[in-house]
Amino acid sequence: MFLDLDKKAPNAPAVVDNLGFSLTYGDLVGFADGFCEKAGGRTLIFILCENCAGALAGYAACLSGRIVPLMLGNGMDRRLLKALIAEYRPAFLWVPESAAEDFGYPCVLEGFGYALIKTRLEPGPLYDGLSLLLTTSGSTGSPKLVRHSYENVESIARSVAEVFGMDENERGMVSLPLQFTQGLNVASSHLYGGSVALLSTDALMKREFWAFFKAQQATSFTGVPYSYEVLDRLRFFRMDLPHLRTINQGGGRLTDALFMKCAKYAADTGRRFVATYGATETTSRMAYLPPELAPEKCGSIGVAMPCGSISLFDDGREIRDANKTGEIVYKGPNVTLGYAERSADLARGDERGGVYATGDLAWRDEDGCHYIVGRKKRFLKLYGYRIGLDETELLIKNELGVLCACTGSDKKMSIYVTEKGIERDVVRFVSAKTGIIPGAFEVVFVEQIPKNDAGKTLYEKLGK
Amino acid sequence: MTNLEKYNKTFMEILNVEASELNAGFGFQTVSNWDSIAHMTLVSTFEDMFDIMLDTEDILNFVSYEAGKEILAKYGIEI
Repeated sequence: MFLDLDKKAPNAPAVVDNLGFSLTYGDLVGFADGFCEKAGGRTLIFILCENCAGALAGYAACLSGRIVPLMLGNGMDRRLLKALIAEYRPAFLWVPESAAEDFGYPCVLEGFGYALIKTRLEPGPLYDGLSLLLTTSGSTGSPKLVRHSYENVESIARSVAEVFGMDENERGMVSLPLQFTQGLNVASSHLYGGSVALLSTDALMKREFWAFFKAQQATSFTGVPYSYEVLDRLRFFRMDLPHLRTINQGGGRLTDALFMKCAKYAADTGRRFVATYGATETTSRMAYLPPELAPEKCGSIGVAMPCGSISLFDDGREIRDANKTGEIVYKGPNVTLGYAERSADLARGDERGGVYATGDLAWRDEDGCHYIVGRKKRFLKLYGYRIGLDETELLIKNELGVLCACTGSDKKMSIYVTEKGIERDVVRFVSAKTGIIPGAFEVVFVEQIPKNDAGKTLYEKLGK
Repeated sequence: MTNLEKYNKTFMEILNVEASELNAGFGFQTVSNWDSIAHMTLVSTFEDMFDIMLDTEDILNFVSYEAGKEILAKYGIEI
């Protein structure tokens, strides 16, 4: 069965959420049977996710019964959702009960605050190995999906469970949305390990979130850089959390200051800080920095997950020397099948053969640990100089201590900052650092940097 | 500018609202723009503006226009 759910002690707790639902492994297995019977065999469904037991139980049931779910945020724009339904024609939707009536479809099953509603639509043919669909970007409205195999999901859940030593003593807080690859992986790896997945629908800065975190004695937290910026503000590093053992980070690069704060916090309090690196295209994680190395390797993403390998390539040639920059190419069983942009694509097979060129540029130190420099595509060529937008952002954040986002064209870089009155300082600093004339940069004040639920910057929303 | 004017202006700018909307019912639950990012932006703006550092509990409790006034008062900032 999916994640060996049926091999766990049936009475052992599996999922607890803040809405009052508490499921054992036996509950998950029993629920999956009923769910699959109602769905009537292999088909396509959409799951509108809230971070709660209902959504996770639905996901586990689907993957157990060879039903293919597309995971979407329940908060997603309804027009966009309608367009996806029209394109992919899911036979069912698994939605929070409170949202079920909006669709006008009959309900065939209820459970854990969720409802299975039947659309009477019929999806096109599904490739036999297809297990799961996620969107490439939850927010921009592109119907581009990432196609996963069963091996993708299981191999990385297994690998992560092994690396982090997940067992029945672990109670992991799943604070990232389940429709994002990392949130889903945190949940799946805990279930694979026989641990408890804790879910909360409350945001990080709600007191209810922390009340739940403490009451449930969470042993780990996983967040993206933005989560850690919030945590830092909340004086997380001084909170009394006696059961917390591990803090995990993925989804982009922390500032050096925050990375070191996490590493020091872990070292001082006998906890583990694990920085990881991943992508939706690789079913979340590709690399992790062994926690004992964090204090000496600030900003590193470490080494490949045990199930995969990392090579660096420059102009088609593999780089074997240390300290030279190249594109990260990852090989492993968690490399997804490919994309889908229309219904017919769901019939397609494996188009990557286990290899994914990430578009991220990195170098490797003498010990084999990797450091990301930026995105291959997130570069501008200003006056003939190649300049990394991500690098520039980090420079400004580290040096001037302001939040910023950089975009632009090969004529001019636009730097969006959230502080007024520092425009000139920013231009002077960046110009000095890069050796490019001040006129190549414009600094624009914005109230806030637009970000999605996972904390990734929405560059397309800047300047509008 | 008085503290109240600064306080109001911050809400108006960050949440894009009119002064007339700032009343007892104005808070996280009722204002759609008041999301997680806005929450952190509000708190950090007040911290910088009044040169204070709020405790965790106070950041978490900063959930409405009125609650914010009471919290800032604890740090000696009379709105």
